[in-house]
Amino acid sequence: MNQASPEILRGTLDLLILKALSWGPAHGYAVARWIEQATNDALAVGEGTLYPALHRLEERGWIAATWGASENNRQAKFYALTRKGRTQLRAETDSWRRYAAAVFAALDAPALD
Amino acid sequence: MAQRFRRFRKLFGLEPKGDVDAELAFHVEMRVRELVEQGETPARARQLALKRFGDYDRTRQDCVVINQRRRQHMDRAEFLSELRQDVAYAFRMMLRAPAFTAAALITLALGIGANSAIFSVVNGVLLESLPYRDAGRLHLLHMLYPDGTQYDALSAPDFMSVRADARVFEQLEAIDQRSVTVLGAGEPQEIEAAFVTGGLFNLLGFNVSNGRTFLADENKPGQSNVTILSHGAWQRLFGGDPGVLGRSLTSSGTTYTIVGVASQEAILPFPAELYFPLEYNETFDATTARGRRSEFLAVVGRARPDVDAAAIDADLKRMGSQLMTAFKQTNDGLTFSSKPLREVIVGDVQKPLLVMLGAVGFVLLVACANVANLLLARGSARHGELSVRAAVGAGRARLIRQLVTESILLGIIGGALGLGLAYAGTQALIAARPPDLPRIDEIQLNGTVVWFTFGAALFTSLIFGLIPALQATNEHLLKGLQESGRGGSGGRRTQRLRSTLVVAEMALAVILLTGAGLLIRSFVALTQVNPGFKPDGAITLRLTFQGAEYQNGEQIRTRVDQLISRVRALPQVTAVAAGSILPLGGLGALNDFAVEGAPPPPPEVNQEIAVAGATPDYFTAIGAPLIRGRFFTELDQPKSAPVVLLNEAAARKWFPDQDPIGRRVLSGGPREVVGIVGDVLQRSPGQPAVAQMFIPYSQRTGRTIRLIVRTNGDPLTVAGAVREQVRALDPNLPLPQATPLADVVSRSVAQPRFYTALLTLFAAVALVLSATGIFGVMSYSVAQQSKEIGIRMALGARAGDVLRSVVGRALALAGAGVVIGVILAVLLGGVLANQLFGVTRFDPVTLLGVVVVLLASAALASLLPATRAAKTDPVTAFRST
Repeated sequence: MNQASPEILRGTLDLLILKALSWGPAHGYAVARWIEQATNDALAVGEGTLYPALHRLEERGWIAATWGASENNRQAKFYALTRKGRTQLRAETDSWRRYAAAVFAALDAPALD
Repeated sequence: MAQRFRRFRKLFGLEPKGDVDAELAFHVEMRVRELVEQGETPARARQLALKRFGDYDRTRQDCVVINQRRRQHMDRAEFLSELRQDVAYAFRMMLRAPAFTAAALITLALGIGANSAIFSVVNGVLLESLPYRDAGRLHLLHMLYPDGTQYDALSAPDFMSVRADARVFEQLEAIDQRSVTVLGAGEPQEIEAAFVTGGLFNLLGFNVSNGRTFLADENKPGQSNVTILSHGAWQRLFGGDPGVLGRSLTSSGTTYTIVGVASQEAILPFPAELYFPLEYNETFDATTARGRRSEFLAVVGRARPDVDAAAIDADLKRMGSQLMTAFKQTNDGLTFSSKPLREVIVGDVQKPLLVMLGAVGFVLLVACANVANLLLARGSARHGELSVRAAVGAGRARLIRQLVTESILLGIIGGALGLGLAYAGTQALIAARPPDLPRIDEIQLNGTVVWFTFGAALFTSLIFGLIPALQATNEHLLKGLQESGRGGSGGRRTQRLRSTLVVAEMALAVILLTGAGLLIRSFVALTQVNPGFKPDGAITLRLTFQGAEYQNGEQIRTRVDQLISRVRALPQVTAVAAGSILPLGGLGALNDFAVEGAPPPPPEVNQEIAVAGATPDYFTAIGAPLIRGRFFTELDQPKSAPVVLLNEAAARKWFPDQDPIGRRVLSGGPREVVGIVGDVLQRSPGQPAVAQMFIPYSQRTGRTIRLIVRTNGDPLTVAGAVREQVRALDPNLPLPQATPLADVVSRSVAQPRFYTALLTLFAAVALVLSATGIFGVMSYSVAQQSKEIGIRMALGARAGDVLRSVVGRALALAGAGVVIGVILAVLLGGVLANQLFGVTRFDPVTLLGVVVVLLASAALASLLPATRAAKTDPVTAFRST
């Protein structure tokens, strides 16, 4: 793994998981793979932190889990966004965009007078 | 609850731990496959995958914790939502079967209400601690005589000796309770008063709501002219006037200043409306022999916390033997004992009350059996509904839970109704003032009683609910819809269960009926005892002569003579007399006794006789016969020859096979026996008359007399005229109510009457409930077998045969209950032993009567279903199923 990858920010992982599931149900490994690929492996998503995060989201009712057959025909736990989770994803995406824009705007701003 | 259901769920889903393990293992395996595809060796790939995963155990643990927490929430939410559904469903079911619901609720309300009412009595009287400080450590001291008898008072010098020397008591205080005539608070009146030692208020934890308690010096002679009103006296005599302090009361020529009003909670265990300081005369001296045999002080002590009953007794015996040595003349053979104050107060009623609680518990069991029976019948009716629910996936546990929820709901509503009944019941009970029941004002429906009721309701619901629930959801049900309840083996088993319940009900009813029957027979026997006097047509008044005009016996005698001659002159009065006691009014005073010339009794025998004073017409007035010799006459004067009358019991005891007339007895001094009178009951109809001696009132004058007036007219009119004469003679005499002499008779059997009435009521409820049970079972079985009955009738059976067969089966059930019940009743009868009179628990009349009543009620209860069966039309019976 790239030692220089920045630690993923608190709360960001939840957002990424919701996003990963927004295309349809997926098991934990698929979510992890999607995050790796989507971020070009730039973010160090500890797989250890991924699963507690999934379970926490399930506890909050944003995602729901069912056992099903995986692509290689193994029993796997599939997660899917709930209606509540979809709403949450929209809200968090908006707020994240605003936040990031604000931070970028600040970073590009000229020096103080 | 959540715990139980979690365990339960493990049977179905994956448990959280296994769930997490499978999920994480899948992840690692996928990663390994990916790495192998990229060219790693399997072993190396596994290593890399695990490294990349991070802290595996920690992750697993985190996930498990989250999942368990989530499961708990879900369980709870699910449980609550199911409960809500069950309760709502239960309500709907109750409303859908209003007749069933009403029957069940009335039965439960009766059963639970009766229990709550009796429990509230037991709680108030027996369980709640006495309203005194450290009540558990308070003891009442007794004199213990050589023959083992006790007297619950001590003399002043003995009290002072014990107080000075006791090692086991922290504090000892004394009360002299007597009635006083009080002037200065409205009409002159006789009031119960307590003359107390300085520390009594402190000992019992009594406070004053106004003013102060007694001061240490106020027990000194000449300084005792103060008084404290009880809360009751303050209300009754002064209307709760806050300015009462400083006012005064006069009693026996002494004026007492009111210095305090006791708080409402300050109530002595015996009647006392006024408190006075006990004046320490010269006999309040631990070193004197004088007055040692004049016992009049109730002595209460608080034991040290570290001593037990044995230590208290040992210390009392130690002091007793010291006094025996020091005061051989007065104390030889005498010693002390003590009893916990609580026992003194409630000892007599403890057993009968607990018996009543047990009896009412049986009533509740009968009620349970009855409701269980109703539920069983209903379970059959609901067979279809339950089958449908089972078919759509409700498990047995789920169905049982639903049914038990319905039972608990019934129980709780029944309990709430029962609480209302219990409230009405206890109010009626308190209003009825059951005789000799102490602490009656402490009976109330408090938190303890409400909890008891709630507990009883829950317990009851589980008893009556669980069996029908198990029965209704048996495996036949779960097999599916194909088997109809009717006529199936499930139905037959239900029928057997219902029959068992009815047998149990009948047995319980037999036990209660037997108890009630024995008490009724005892009560009848008590009222048929010849009391030895004729209460009808006589009235009685209690008069006490106190005050300046009554300094000596001569003055009192003169006034009594005047009163008697004035009353005798009234129209319609046939006899008038005064005596120191009333029939059935207790033994009164006890005196030493010996027959002149007879060998002296052995030293350990306390040879005593009950003594009473009487004016010449006393026996005519109460209606007791002269057996031999003569009554007293006007010639028996203070200075004339001392004479006595003996009752028959005394004559039998002291002069067996001899003629006592003309013989002399020694009691105080020598007295000549001039007559024998018939035995008059002294204590209660259950206790035979004991030896009693009468002395002319002129030779034994007391301040308190019972005036007895026999009339051939209207007792009320005569009572008014007598009171007028008292008023005319001395307006300062307290005017008492006149009571019919018959009242003393009814009062003497009031306690047995009370318990008899109570138990009879319980037995009646049990009888009605069990008859209802028989009715229910027979109706159900007739309905179930209508086809069979139809066949029999089609084959030529007559209506009478069918009728006989149904009633016969009811009688068979009742018979089984009767056999079991009679055996149990005889075994349990021992608890009533103390309350039985003239019968034993094996009384054949009672047992036979109970059997007849029960069988008759069973036959009667089955008559309606039997008639219905007999009217069965074979054609309809075949069509209906």
